[in-house]
Amino acid sequence: MDCTQARPSLLARNRGELEPNLEAELDAHLQTCSACRRYDQLESVLSEALARLPRRTAPATLKRTLEARYLPKHRLYLRAAAIALAATFGAGLLAIAVVPQTNSPKPMLTEAVNDHLRILYAERRVEVESGGIHQVKPWFEGRLDFAPLMPFAGDDDFPLQGGSVAWLLDRKAAAFVFRRRLHLVTVFVFRADGLSWPATNTSVGRLRGTEFTARGFHALFFRSSEQGYAIVSDVDPRELQALGTRLVQSLP
Amino acid sequence: MRDHQVGSIRRDALTHADALYRLARHLTGNDAEAEDLVQDTYARAFAAEAEWDPGSSLRAWLFRILRNAHIDSWRRKRRSPLTGACDTDSFSDDLGIDEGIRGDQELARLRQVVASEIEAALAALSLDERTVIALDHEGLTEGEVARVLGCAVGTVKSRLSRARAQLRRRLRDYSR
Repeated sequence: MDCTQARPSLLARNRGELEPNLEAELDAHLQTCSACRRYDQLESVLSEALARLPRRTAPATLKRTLEARYLPKHRLYLRAAAIALAATFGAGLLAIAVVPQTNSPKPMLTEAVNDHLRILYAERRVEVESGGIHQVKPWFEGRLDFAPLMPFAGDDDFPLQGGSVAWLLDRKAAAFVFRRRLHLVTVFVFRADGLSWPATNTSVGRLRGTEFTARGFHALFFRSSEQGYAIVSDVDPRELQALGTRLVQSLP
Repeated sequence: MRDHQVGSIRRDALTHADALYRLARHLTGNDAEAEDLVQDTYARAFAAEAEWDPGSSLRAWLFRILRNAHIDSWRRKRRSPLTGACDTDSFSDDLGIDEGIRGDQELARLRQVVASEIEAALAALSLDERTVIALDHEGLTEGEVARVLGCAVGTVKSRLSRARAQLRRRLRDYSR
């Protein structure tokens, strides 16, 4: 056995994973080769160094999202009944039924805020920088399983910065990033099929949507035919309405 | 595949989320992209779950999907060829034969490196070198690593050795 054969086997030997005959050959080589004995020391110390790497775990929010998305959903029914009390306390029968858990729009609302945060925290906030909507929209081709409807190209009040692919619950979304003064505003466009849609609580002109606030961020949701839109930012909700109105007016 | 089998496979697959996230973090270098890569991995995996061979390693299958997803993403962004298979060009050929003849300084230096320096040195390696070290660090067997990288089992040992030699060189260079 020479050095070229010996060194790749040192790690397996140190872990006790080497076949006995190979281990014997390697041991014999090490007895006569000081360079490989030093190499062996370096390998051991490198293994100790690698053991100091942080043992990161996937974020809890990511795990919850994955579980909610992919594991079978169980409806939980709880029913409790109180037994009639003895005559001395009066008779009564109390039945408590907890209604089955229904699909809630809440996950979609909070996920949009989380996705906006991911864009804010990313080193590259947009994957394609804007040279206009006619550059940004074609970039999504082949990256999404639908064609996002976004005729609004931005204007002086809301200049378009660029776009990225995002995930919203179980589906990919197109993220168009606009700027409002010093703030970023993300518009997520996604397939709305199968989603539990929140009740309308705001109406401005043709815009009928749902306003939602979480962790200091405001979001405005609305639908147009089969696509959903979520506008998320920390700007005032009236400014989200202004952008939403522009979007709605540009849609066919 | 029956529904209860699908649910069982998915539950098993989701237990590997932490390990997948760690590899994704090594490959992408940041938390947000790592999360996206893990999401993409599971979406691809469950879209193709009927193709998974129950007799094979589920985690190797998932890691392979993750690696391929990262390569696809990287190619789209960089518009440049990226090693996909187990290509010798992406591994240093030099096993560092001369490295054995070094003073105690390198040993002392290696003993003192902190986690951030190791991560920085890892990030400076090629994709394949980083991947083989990370997979080995996760405890994958040689067979599983070969499955992930798409190369022969017999080559994994030498590729890992070369990658570790490169890592040591990077760490040594940082100390100068």
